Amino acid sequence: MSAQQEEMSLDKRLALVSFSKDPEPFIVVDTKLCVECEKKPCLYICPAQVYSWQDQLTYNTEGCMETGACLIVCHKIGAKAISWKYPSGGKGVSFKLG
Amino acid sequence: MSLEGFEVAVVGAGPAGSAAALTLAREGVQVLLVERGAFPGSKNVFGGRIYSYALKRLLGDRWKDAPVERFVRKEGITFMTADSSFSIEYESKDPTGSFTSIRAKFDKWLAEQAEKAGASLITDSRVDDLVTEGGRVRGIIAGQDKIPTDAVIACDGTTTSLARRAGLATMLEPEEVSMGMKDVVELPAERIEERFGLEPGEGAAHVFVGDCSGGLRGGGFLYTNKDSLALGMVVGADDTSTKAVPSHTFMDRLRNHRRVQRLIRDGKTIEYDAHMIPEAGPKMLTRPYTGGMLVAGDAAGHLLNNGYTFRGVDMAIVSGVAAAQTILEARKRKDYSAQSLQNYERKLREEPALRDMYTFSKVPRYLRNNRLYNVYPELVCNAAEAVYRVDGNGKRKIYKEIRAQTKGKVSTMSLIRDLLAGARTF
Repeated sequence: MSAQQEEMSLDKRLALVSFSKDPEPFIVVDTKLCVECEKKPCLYICPAQVYSWQDQLTYNTEGCMETGACLIVCHKIGAKAISWKYPSGGKGVSFKLG
Repeated sequence: MSLEGFEVAVVGAGPAGSAAALTLAREGVQVLLVERGAFPGSKNVFGGRIYSYALKRLLGDRWKDAPVERFVRKEGITFMTADSSFSIEYESKDPTGSFTSIRAKFDKWLAEQAEKAGASLITDSRVDDLVTEGGRVRGIIAGQDKIPTDAVIACDGTTTSLARRAGLATMLEPEEVSMGMKDVVELPAERIEERFGLEPGEGAAHVFVGDCSGGLRGGGFLYTNKDSLALGMVVGADDTSTKAVPSHTFMDRLRNHRRVQRLIRDGKTIEYDAHMIPEAGPKMLTRPYTGGMLVAGDAAGHLLNNGYTFRGVDMAIVSGVAAAQTILEARKRKDYSAQSLQNYERKLREEPALRDMYTFSKVPRYLRNNRLYNVYPELVCNAAEAVYRVDGNGKRKIYKEIRAQTKGKVSTMSLIRDLLAGARTF
């Protein structure tokens, strides 16, 4: 077998994780506040890049790995814009090899 | 299932919750174990190792039925620059002291042991709030269900909404938490054994410090499972978010280092996991109890990173058991007031396994010294390079070589201060 170096990317990684969509919005961001946010720490802390910035803050909760770290950095470093709770019972991420 | 008639509700079927529920059920307590995931372990992630003693204490000989991946024979650490590395490896005479595992298997199995002892497990249930009456906790609220109980044990993890609701905690600071991420890389068992120099069933644990965290507070880890490698990074939440480096990029930084590339070569990544790690220790709560409620496991900061061992599951089990014992004593007195439960804190301090948290309580502050990540690993590697290199230009004695390496990197005062503080801290 020849030595092979596997190329990884975040998209490739997230495709390996199982999610069950929660119809209830468990993350809600008051994105008006983000415009004034200087550091935008949510963009960097989230290991699944749920948050992105294109002239305004957008977020896609479907890839959320439920670490809860965005809430902390948003409220302590950012604009206190994120409200966050876990998805409903049985919904959200499901790790098989965690 | 009828949700009436339970004496105790345990929230979260991780190691703390299952150990607590098991201990209570054994004594005939009607206990409800509530898990928000589809099954216990489905929301949980760790590096990869469990120290066996806690399981032996909880289950006696039956601990051997645990879903073990490999018993850890080898412990290693690597200091790395972008293009060099310095590794130390210790081979233990007895590998049974700890084992690698997978939480989806381990937590599920431990919850089954609690069920066998008589605990009732419900999954797919998020606990939203506490029932409070007369100034103390008297149950839980999960969706439409209001479940009255005599007492609650909150084992709801790092984000512990229950401790906050009970007024025992405020939101953690970014410097008190880290982001942990890992890739699980599939590799045949024989290749793992060949590559790491292991016998079948034996495993290795390895830590990486230096280039992989790009000078920020953090480091890498690797644990060998049966036929996969758990390869991950832990980075300080304050560092990664204020210095604007996306946390997941550290994974590639680690993987692309030559030292690590060779270890995962030909492997296939089969899962990506992430979890937040509390680093503040027990002081993340004002106290771990209130009237009608105790807090255990990650939720109470019962875990320990002292820089060279990373412990969570064993401490969670021990604290879950201590919480259950406190409830059993209160039950005899038929008194679940805060005063009746205050013994919990003393139990935690007197329990030798948990005392380690207090022994190493100054470690988190020490580990916030960024020289540990952006100066010393490079110093170690450059000193090794100087010691081992022969280029015909004449060599200096080792001490002089090392002194020369520190020039311009770290002042003698800082070096001495870090060494002395290290000696006092560890």
